[in-house]
Amino acid sequence: MHNVTDSNGNGRSLQNEFALSAGELFGPDDPILITGASGFIGIRLVRNLLDRGFRNLRCLTRLPGKAAKLEALRDHAGDTRIQVLTGNLLAREDCAAATRDVKLIYHLAAGRGEKSFPDAYMNSVVATRNLIEAAAEPASGPRSLQRLVTVSSFAVYSNRHKPQGNLLDESCSIEAQAHLCGDAYSFAKIKQDEIVAEYCNRFGIPYVIVRPGYVLGPGNPAITGRVGIGTFGIFMHLGGFNSLPITYVDNCADAIALAGLKRGVEGQAFNVVDDDLPSSWKFLRAYKRNVRSFKSIYVPHWLSYTGCYLWERYSTWSEGQLDPVFNHRLWHRYWKRTRYSNRKLKTQLGWTPKVDMTEGLRRYFESCGAGRV
Amino acid sequence: MLKVGIVGCGKIADAHAAQIGRIPGCEIVAVCDREPLMARQLAERFPIRRHFGDLNQLLEQSRPDVIHITTPPQSHFEIARQCLEAGCHVYVEKPFTLYEEEARRLIDLANAKGLKLTAGHDHQFSHAALRMRALAGSGYLGGPPVHMESYYCYELGASDYAGALLGDKKHWVRRLPGKLLHNIISHGIARIAEFLSGADPQVIAHGFTSPFLKSLGENEIIDELRVIVCDEDSHTAYFTFSSQMRPSLHQFRLYGPKNGLLLDLHQETVIKLRGGRYKSYAEKFVPPVTLAGQYLGNLKTNLGSFLANDFHMKSGMKYLIESFYRSIRENTPLPISYREILLTARIMDDIFAQLNREPARGVDRGAMRLQPALID
Repeated sequence: MHNVTDSNGNGRSLQNEFALSAGELFGPDDPILITGASGFIGIRLVRNLLDRGFRNLRCLTRLPGKAAKLEALRDHAGDTRIQVLTGNLLAREDCAAATRDVKLIYHLAAGRGEKSFPDAYMNSVVATRNLIEAAAEPASGPRSLQRLVTVSSFAVYSNRHKPQGNLLDESCSIEAQAHLCGDAYSFAKIKQDEIVAEYCNRFGIPYVIVRPGYVLGPGNPAITGRVGIGTFGIFMHLGGFNSLPITYVDNCADAIALAGLKRGVEGQAFNVVDDDLPSSWKFLRAYKRNVRSFKSIYVPHWLSYTGCYLWERYSTWSEGQLDPVFNHRLWHRYWKRTRYSNRKLKTQLGWTPKVDMTEGLRRYFESCGAGRV
Repeated sequence: MLKVGIVGCGKIADAHAAQIGRIPGCEIVAVCDREPLMARQLAERFPIRRHFGDLNQLLEQSRPDVIHITTPPQSHFEIARQCLEAGCHVYVEKPFTLYEEEARRLIDLANAKGLKLTAGHDHQFSHAALRMRALAGSGYLGGPPVHMESYYCYELGASDYAGALLGDKKHWVRRLPGKLLHNIISHGIARIAEFLSGADPQVIAHGFTSPFLKSLGENEIIDELRVIVCDEDSHTAYFTFSSQMRPSLHQFRLYGPKNGLLLDLHQETVIKLRGGRYKSYAEKFVPPVTLAGQYLGNLKTNLGSFLANDFHMKSGMKYLIESFYRSIRENTPLPISYREILLTARIMDDIFAQLNREPARGVDRGAMRLQPALID
């Protein structure tokens, strides 16, 4: 029995609600690889798996400086085997070392924050392809991999042809013209999902895709662009009364963990949002009250849509004098009034949010206010 | 119709594809990357008819007239050589090659084959840079430059590039002779090279790792560089590269015997620095007013260019590519002289030789030997 620390800094016992259940695919000693393990979600996923009793975890991180967080986790994990690897998925030899003998891969590493399309593509798509190939065709011995879980995003969906107030769930279509999304992250995530399907089908690797909404929690102090943007000097509130598709980071990590463990969900995608989603208004008001006050101006939907439309038209007409960072596809994905569902996640994976929305927001605001980022 | 190919489909290839697409009379017929997925993504986004994972296939099947090389610098020489042998004109991204000797060999080969080469020193052709060059050419300086100051800074702490570089001990930038500096400083050095008249300038370089990088555990990358350059005709220059100073300048100051010029690449401004002084208190009051007027004039010019849809972030690259293509079609002079390319490479060789405390390959002049002469 080991004590581990949750993301809120509270020590607790492994013997808890997460313990291994009979319906799960993998045993406690099966080797599991987590890429992006030192990241915002990754570190919580590692803790979640430890809580579930898994004792043979291989954690891959790109930045040597971030490995310390995982080393610290290992120090508290007693006889549990946590192997911390520093490597880059763009290097084939690193992929081979990381995937050797693993039965389950949680692939969280991705290009985040890159504004360049090629950079985002390389760090998400090429890296994912390398990982799959290394796991599918190991240099020595038979293939051990039994499931790959990849983390995608809500950004891949297109709801352009749905009416206002529509339900966005796993049945929604994926944006077909990824390069017209206007942002490198969405482009890379759409292409990553395509490469996962293509290569996993080619090699016969069972896979599951998890698509979280906006993941919030201590360590991610930003206000999601779905609420608004501060690009032009004053914060423009664009969300209005829209529901925000957010998930608290520990709940998200729990959903990802389950996607790797539950039987019979191969080839499926799961959206992750919490219950009781707040509106953009409510979120912004609470943020200002709990974190910091600042001036904002509400931009009604008709105006934000017109602005995006005109920006896009100007970008095309001017041959890119302004990049098409605001466009109608972006508006539909980010600011159109939309409802979200976690029904599939609950019914097929048995997921429930362990941290309710009120508590999740409280922890998030507290971390933002304290500058614990 | 000029048929164009791009080799190397990373970040800078996007800029090339976008600018080539704005130039009439040419077409990107194929792209190539050793990583086929990267070639595919570029071809899908722009869109381009064909993409390859092998340069030979591109050269054989698409038969381009011009190749743009946008790969990491280690491969520039070999790819450029291969393209020249195949009969293509070549645009090589900066840094042109790793060493001056390689640059010289490419130029010799291009001349022998009757083909043309240019280097990706596109910052030299931004709107403001063109205005400054025109002013310098009009005699505003009052003669050849006496002294230059070139600032080329880079905010390492805030960039994605830093994360990729610092987090990857095997990153290709680390394998360059001048590491980070090698991949970045060409633009700032080329500005100086343009106005040097001698062929064999003396160079004194001092570089170090900033406290910021050291705090991240990085001791290998030099991200602070100060250089003094002096040519045979007593034209002198200071070059500064810094990842930490703020503001992070991209400036070039050109001082002649009568007047000076100040070019700011970030702001796209050119300011005339008057050599004479006003009498008494007038010197305290008149210059601020005239400077304010000049800045307002720059604002008007920039706004005018923007409204005329001629103020793209990579306008310098478009100008350079257009000029290069015109040179190919009409046999007009190249936008960047081979002399300037070689001189830039030579100065960089000297800098890195001093930083690495070993002689530069292909350079028979001992860089360290030059220091006492200059100090004396």
